[in-house]
Amino acid sequence: METREDILEIMREDLKRALQKTRSERRWGMAIDLRRCIGCHACTTGCMSENLTPPGMRYRPVREEEIGQFPNVSLRFLPRPCMQCDSPTCTPVCPVKATYKRDDGIVMIDYRKCIGCRYCLVACPYGARSADVGHYYTGEMKKQTYEVENSGEYGKVFKRKTHWHSPIGNARKCHFCIHRVEKGELTRCTTTCLGHATYFGDLNDPKSLINKVIAKANTFRYREEVGTEPRVIYVV
Amino acid sequence: MRFDGIVLPDRARLREAVDDIRKGRGGISLYLSLLGLLAGFLAIGCIFLLGHAHTTNTSDLVPWGIQITTYVYFVLISTGCTFVNFFGHVFYEEDYKPFASRVIFLGIVTALAAFLSLATEMGRVERMYYFLVSPNPASPMFWMSVWYLAYLAVIVLEYINIRRNRHSQAVMWGAFLIAVVTHSTLGSLFGAVGPRAYYYSALLPIYFLFIAFLTGSALCAVVAAVEWRKTPGDDSPLPAFFTTFLKIGLGLALLANFWRLMIGLAGNGPGWEVFRLTLFDSLFHGIFLAVVVPFLLSLFIRGPGGMIFTGLLILATQFKARSDLVAGGFKVPVFRAYDIPAVVQYTPSIFEVLVLIASVSLVSFLYLVCDRSGLFEPIPGKEA
Repeated sequence: METREDILEIMREDLKRALQKTRSERRWGMAIDLRRCIGCHACTTGCMSENLTPPGMRYRPVREEEIGQFPNVSLRFLPRPCMQCDSPTCTPVCPVKATYKRDDGIVMIDYRKCIGCRYCLVACPYGARSADVGHYYTGEMKKQTYEVENSGEYGKVFKRKTHWHSPIGNARKCHFCIHRVEKGELTRCTTTCLGHATYFGDLNDPKSLINKVIAKANTFRYREEVGTEPRVIYVV
Repeated sequence: MRFDGIVLPDRARLREAVDDIRKGRGGISLYLSLLGLLAGFLAIGCIFLLGHAHTTNTSDLVPWGIQITTYVYFVLISTGCTFVNFFGHVFYEEDYKPFASRVIFLGIVTALAAFLSLATEMGRVERMYYFLVSPNPASPMFWMSVWYLAYLAVIVLEYINIRRNRHSQAVMWGAFLIAVVTHSTLGSLFGAVGPRAYYYSALLPIYFLFIAFLTGSALCAVVAAVEWRKTPGDDSPLPAFFTTFLKIGLGLALLANFWRLMIGLAGNGPGWEVFRLTLFDSLFHGIFLAVVVPFLLSLFIRGPGGMIFTGLLILATQFKARSDLVAGGFKVPVFRAYDIPAVVQYTPSIFEVLVLIASVSLVSFLYLVCDRSGLFEPIPGKEA
């Protein structure tokens, strides 16, 4: 049986292979095995520390869902990152093209362009976007270094020094840790997942672990009926 | 072209008006407006200086709050004033003329009040130039901004023409058509949001236009009735077209509200239960208080006093209806989970309420000051 480390190593190899291709040849995707998710919130915590998100903002919360009706009820943990939809509803509504879909499928936000109208928050059918209104864990007067550090999101420098500095005032969301992925590192949620329920890789690579996992199991994509073609695939 | 005393208040009379205000002869409405404006601008200052984190109650579950409600409310009134101006000129030319400059002036100041409120809601308002630098033609919001520029330009031109007594049919038609396009685009901004059942509707652009006509007529009726009461020794009745416009507006609002509600109740998919959740509000506030009662009042209470009361009731109930519309879209979260409330509640903060007060005060203050400065009086040598 493969250990957690083995699985991560396989995915890292997949990642290296994918990064050798051109951006348009890659198709980043994520599979989340709900049978293995134990609801530990390690992915949420890892993501928050990676992206230095302010209080109340979670790019990848683990939602708790009730399945079935009494007396046949069960609880399910459902991690919810941005679905990086192939047909996103958030990008066409942005009046200034601050949010757009990259060739490799990542839905990006240009913090320097975003005007903070929050139309994308209204349009997202997954509630995956958040508005950074400028909260700090320790309050405005006593903010700590880690709260104003550069998170390195999108591979750029953004420091939340005051509410005049982006990303405060902007829409924010999960971006599959693209700043890590481009350096050959897996997304933070994948590496922190205790139950190795999260798989990340190139959906265009038939040899990748993510494709093998999807092929073997029953899968679904959340709210597929809205036509967004999400790239996060849940294994059940 | 001379602006002083024609398009803008006459300097000498403006100075007199300011002196009157200083000496305590401004009248209660003007002082209340001034107070509201001061408090509102203080709140707006706080929003910009302290940031949204400390001043607003919007969240990821309710991204748009009372500032957007205020914005929608005032732009619809502005459109309504343009409609009243158009239909007044077309159908009641001579009767309407004395009110024309007031009506279109109200159209301009309500649009300004709307933009004031909108500016306080934006996360990065200083980046609005990206609308020009990086436009996205696929976004209804982009088109809304384009049309708003055109709308403002054309209603200002219409106002200048009216004041200079060089009324142009082409500009009037242009203002009407651009108002229709602009505010139906605003309707589409909400109506095109597929994941929000409460917004998603092809009816919404038409709904916005109908409501615009009602609210614009209500404000114009209130202003005209107040003006009529001030005219000494004039016992002639207020021109009937204001009541006619109100009744038509109420009919249109009933039609739009009723069918939107019926179609919403018939919906059976994720999020459509919001129509059932808000049924009481829709029936009692949206239809009974906002349409039926004002209609009965307009039938039974005659005279300027009745008109003022009916108009104010419509304006108040329509604000509640706008608030229900904007907040209604967020009542049921798009992502259901055990740890997310099944029904989301939103209560505006004091700063957000003060932005509403600032917008209302801006309209009333500008109108009252310009009225005292004689801006809406016929210009000697330029009478029709």
